[in-house]
Amino acid sequence: MHDIPQLLISTVLLGGIYALIAVGLTLIFGIMRVVNFAHGEFLMLGMYLAFWAFTLIAMDPYLVLLPAIPLFFLAGLATYALVMRGVIHASHNVQIFTTVGLSLALQNVALVLWTGDFRFIRPWYYSTVVRLGDTAFNVSQIAAFAVAMAFTAALFAFMRWSYTGRVMRATAQDREAASLMGIDADRVYAFTWAIGIVCVGIAGVLLAPLYPVYPTAGLQFVLLAYVVVVLGGLGDMVGALLGSLIVAAVEVVGSYVFGTAWKEVLYFLLFIAILLIRPAGLFGQRGAESLGV
Amino acid sequence: MRHWKATLVVSALVALAGLAVTSSQGQPLQGEYKIGVLEPLTGPLAFEGKRHLEGYEIMRDMINERGGVMGKKLVFAVGDATDPTAAASEATRLITREGVKIITGTYSSTLCGAASEATSRQNAIYWETSCVDPRFTRRGLKNVFRTEIDGTGFGWYNIEFIAKHLAPRFNLKPNQLKVAFLSEDSSYGQGVTEAARQRAKQEFGMSEVAAEYYAFATTNDFTPIILKLKALNPDIVHHIARGNDAVIFWRQSREQNFLFKALVHAGATGYGSPDFGKALGADGNAPFALLEPGPGFRLEALRPEGQRVEKAFRDIVQQKTGSYPLGGHQLAAGGLWLLKLVLDQARTDDLDKFRAAVMALDLPVGSSVNGWGVKFAENGQNSNERVQHYMLQWQGGQLVTVWPEEFTTNRAKWIPLGAWDQRK
Repeated sequence: MHDIPQLLISTVLLGGIYALIAVGLTLIFGIMRVVNFAHGEFLMLGMYLAFWAFTLIAMDPYLVLLPAIPLFFLAGLATYALVMRGVIHASHNVQIFTTVGLSLALQNVALVLWTGDFRFIRPWYYSTVVRLGDTAFNVSQIAAFAVAMAFTAALFAFMRWSYTGRVMRATAQDREAASLMGIDADRVYAFTWAIGIVCVGIAGVLLAPLYPVYPTAGLQFVLLAYVVVVLGGLGDMVGALLGSLIVAAVEVVGSYVFGTAWKEVLYFLLFIAILLIRPAGLFGQRGAESLGV
Repeated sequence: MRHWKATLVVSALVALAGLAVTSSQGQPLQGEYKIGVLEPLTGPLAFEGKRHLEGYEIMRDMINERGGVMGKKLVFAVGDATDPTAAASEATRLITREGVKIITGTYSSTLCGAASEATSRQNAIYWETSCVDPRFTRRGLKNVFRTEIDGTGFGWYNIEFIAKHLAPRFNLKPNQLKVAFLSEDSSYGQGVTEAARQRAKQEFGMSEVAAEYYAFATTNDFTPIILKLKALNPDIVHHIARGNDAVIFWRQSREQNFLFKALVHAGATGYGSPDFGKALGADGNAPFALLEPGPGFRLEALRPEGQRVEKAFRDIVQQKTGSYPLGGHQLAAGGLWLLKLVLDQARTDDLDKFRAAVMALDLPVGSSVNGWGVKFAENGQNSNERVQHYMLQWQGGQLVTVWPEEFTTNRAKWIPLGAWDQRK
């Protein structure tokens, strides 16, 4: 019974990290209707950016966030122009093969450039533990959670209240009608892809003080992000946030109550059940072409 | 003048080529003998696969300086076994396209089964140097051999260390010990853990307080299991980790102030990987890992022929990498050296004659690289008793040999483990 506060905190902190990864994925799907199988590799690149900035110029990972935003935005624009633009109107099969190909290419470029070694950064607060009553947590976890929540909230506000956000939602709802209103759908897609990549790149930077980086580090997290996105409703940002907390809760409580081996069984059972009962996801509107924001 | 220069260049090239195929003992090598080397060089296991390949290459060069194999220069055709499917297809390619008759590899228990099955279908020889899945040599395949200890041997050694070394230092009898078993869920983790569980219970009557498996690639938070184990208050945590799961578990155990008397692991992954020390530095002091020998290992404890080959290998690794040989280097090199001994004896890669030479090889502990001995069983498994293993401990950011004590100048520290901030 006295473990419940710790389990709750672990759920919330883990859920926050999953949320930032999932939000970028759901944004790209919601507007572009593309499932990005290279999402984990951009997470890995974010982790490497933090690693090299720390190793080469002793730059704190949280300061790396500042250059990371424009850098990943540019990386997003570049990959859209070079890879995604050509397949944006192609069938889903072609899009899947393209993003899987991008994923493998990025993994292997990382392997060639930086080898398969696990790499770690150890900032001064690396092993700083905060204790509150019966609970304990690493300070990097709290920082990652806080930044993840702030960034998700900012993105939510941007999509809801900014002119560009409205343009993006309009394009998602009816691309042809948006085009007739003078909206350049290609620019919207490029911008959406870049924002999605910024989200996951930032998540990578935030994870770097907590987890080692290696060329396939993204796979460790991104599989869960797909579960989260389907659970919450593909394209639904609030759903992704709540889905992250649900998956984290299933993982944490399932491990504690039933055993670690059962956690994946549990959340994949939940995943299948959602697909069977409510294919649009818990919060997605059935048949609606909207972001739900 | 031009003619004179050309003659000089050609002469130099001929001399260089001659040097390349002449052993240091002055025996010219007659042609080349090619074997297939299969390791995960891309994908999630590449970090360790590349170390193994480096170990193979170092030992290949050392072998070629010592007369090659069967009087020929040993050369490699390398395949990338990124996953079990690739392992099988690359094994087939190496045999059918590269024409090799022997394949060695593949580091991981998830790969060696598929690679050896494909090799068997092509009627070639499979020489495993690293994977420890106990099922590997239980399939009745006559062409499959393993130089490394199997998972049951890892489990056996770990419990031997716990019962014979740790328990007396805790002032407890083995049957008073409470052990929590935690492991990643691959065939490697399961093989080691199940063997350890069986021996702990049946031979020593230890109390098992938990037995938990997890998927190492997708477990990002160990807090729930740590809370559960903390409530069970084990003396020993027997944790078979695969990669960064060791780092996360150790770091989060510290955060949750989970106290136990010792943590014991087996294998060159997880706590046995240099990455654990790189991640945690002195905060990673204290875990034990069953491995090949590390710093502190007494060369003079080996037989004279073992001393010679071990010293030469250690010196070359030091020269090439600037460090003591790592587990991946040692497994690959130790296995390749034994392959040389077999091929030199058999003088052929004909399966029947090769197999006869394997079965005839009989070397006591301390005769070869890593202090290993050799005696293969009919199922192709080198004897667990001959493949001497050692317990290493993280001390000051470095893995050092601490057991068996006759093989080392170092002693195990922090027994039992004190508070987390008292392990410096």
